[in-house]
Amino acid sequence: MGMMGAACSDPCASAPTPDTGDTVPTDWTPAALSDDIPVASAAPGQLGPHDLAIWRSASGRIAAWADRCPHRGMRLSHGFVRGERLSCIYHGWGYGEGGQCVRIPAHPELTPPEAIRVPVFSVAEASGVIWVAEEAPDGPPPEFPGVVAFRSLQVSAAPEALAAALGGTGTVIETVLGGAQVVALIQPLRGGAAGLHLLAPEGSDPAALDALSAEVEALRRRVEAAEEMTA
Amino acid sequence: MSEGGAMRDQWYPVGMTKQLTAQGRDTMLMGEPIRVALAGGAPSVTDGTGRALPVIDRFGHVWTSLGQPEKDLFTIPEVDQPGRRLVDVGVCRVRCSPLRAVENFLDIAHFPFVHTDILGSEPHTEVARYEVEIRDDVDEVWATKVKFFQPQAAKSAEGGITTDYMYRVCAPTCSVLYKTCPPKPGEWDVIALFVQPLTETLCDVWPYMALYDDDAEMTDLIHFQQMIFVQDRSVLENQLPALLPLDPGREIPTRADMTSIAYRRWLKRHGFTYGAQLVAA
Ligand code: FES
Ligand SMILES: [Fe+2]
Repeated sequence: MGMMGAACSDPCASAPTPDTGDTVPTDWTPAALSDDIPVASAAPGQLGPHDLAIWRSASGRIAAWADRCPHRGMRLSHGFVRGERLSCIYHGWGYGEGGQCVRIPAHPELTPPEAIRVPVFSVAEASGVIWVAEEAPDGPPPEFPGVVAFRSLQVSAAPEALAAALGGTGTVIETVLGGAQVVALIQPLRGGAAGLHLLAPEGSDPAALDALSAEVEALRRRVEAAEEMTA
Repeated sequence: MSEGGAMRDQWYPVGMTKQLTAQGRDTMLMGEPIRVALAGGAPSVTDGTGRALPVIDRFGHVWTSLGQPEKDLFTIPEVDQPGRRLVDVGVCRVRCSPLRAVENFLDIAHFPFVHTDILGSEPHTEVARYEVEIRDDVDEVWATKVKFFQPQAAKSAEGGITTDYMYRVCAPTCSVLYKTCPPKPGEWDVIALFVQPLTETLCDVWPYMALYDDDAEMTDLIHFQQMIFVQDRSVLENQLPALLPLDPGREIPTRADMTSIAYRRWLKRHGFTYGAQLVAA
């Protein structure tokens, strides 16, 4: 396979240059962009081995729960949001604050026992990114002044390979892509895949964002092709 | 559980009789390839080695078994009543355990949420107490005195009514439901679910109906039932774990789930574990 487009650097050729590929350590894992979970909606996510239901209440509160209804195992990410509750789409059991079951429609008079509770993960939003963690980390997730959430991609390659292609390691990589100073957040996904959440310079014009999109898609193709060859 | 255990000796639907051809159709039963064909005017089923398997032609479907069934296939006496329209709905493939498909069929509490404004609607979500038993004489699970409010109970129903149901599990992957029949008070419409276990997590579902409905077009009856089943599929393909837990494990049943509880208990008692898991996970 030949070189794709006019990449600014060959990711496989050399070590990162000192002014790009900075690595910021954090105990949080990026799971989605804030804009991708609008008010009163739910979507599936991942954190290591865990499937997540990430959802936003009518008042805008974000939550990340185990993606499995305690009743009969339906994925809660398929559920519906009303007010401050997430309800399961199968039998409508409603869950509120802390994952506590508050309503069983088949038995409207019943107050659900406290034991019926969905496991809850730590979640926080910063710079337009939704971050999750199993145990509450010591501090908040990192903020990135000057950049805003741009788009997320899924890459069929190991997170390490993706990080290396971006000239860094770990979860947070500050680098230059398509001529723009960007922040790339890397999320390990199951099945040897990675999520790439990209933050672009604030106030970028549409042409610059198009160029960045083309650049990151080319990078994805390169990384996936390299992964296929080593597989 | 890949051997199939006691479920090997049971009967399973493997196709619609009227769709048979001499050339035959390749399909699967409990992980093994089989061919269903018309041989000399009669249905025949062979396994991957060409061995002929036992065959029954009943309810518009061809039935077979990989093992040695001790009993005849169950009967549905209502099917022979004059005036009923017999409807082979066709096939719906679902990426789920065959047992999960049956359990869903036994469930009414999901009507307002999965079949919204058709089989149920909020705020009519309450499931009143009903009766469930394992009938030892016939070795079947029965749920009776089931009642639920339905905005559009069947193709022939206009407006909301409280519908009565009875459910019957007559084989590990087959269930028959009886429901109030709006055009003929005092009689029951019969809707059966015949499930072909392709693997432990993949099945072909063959719904079958015997209705008192003189007016509806056959294609409308079929489309109505198919629409209902497509709605069920969106749930069935997203339940965790994929295998049906026979021990409660991490699931929390309520009184509305009594039929499901009895079904699981009956499966466990017979060692019907293909598509099930015994250890809580
Ligand atoms: S599985 Fe969620 S409410 Fe029944
Ligand atoms: Fe259903």
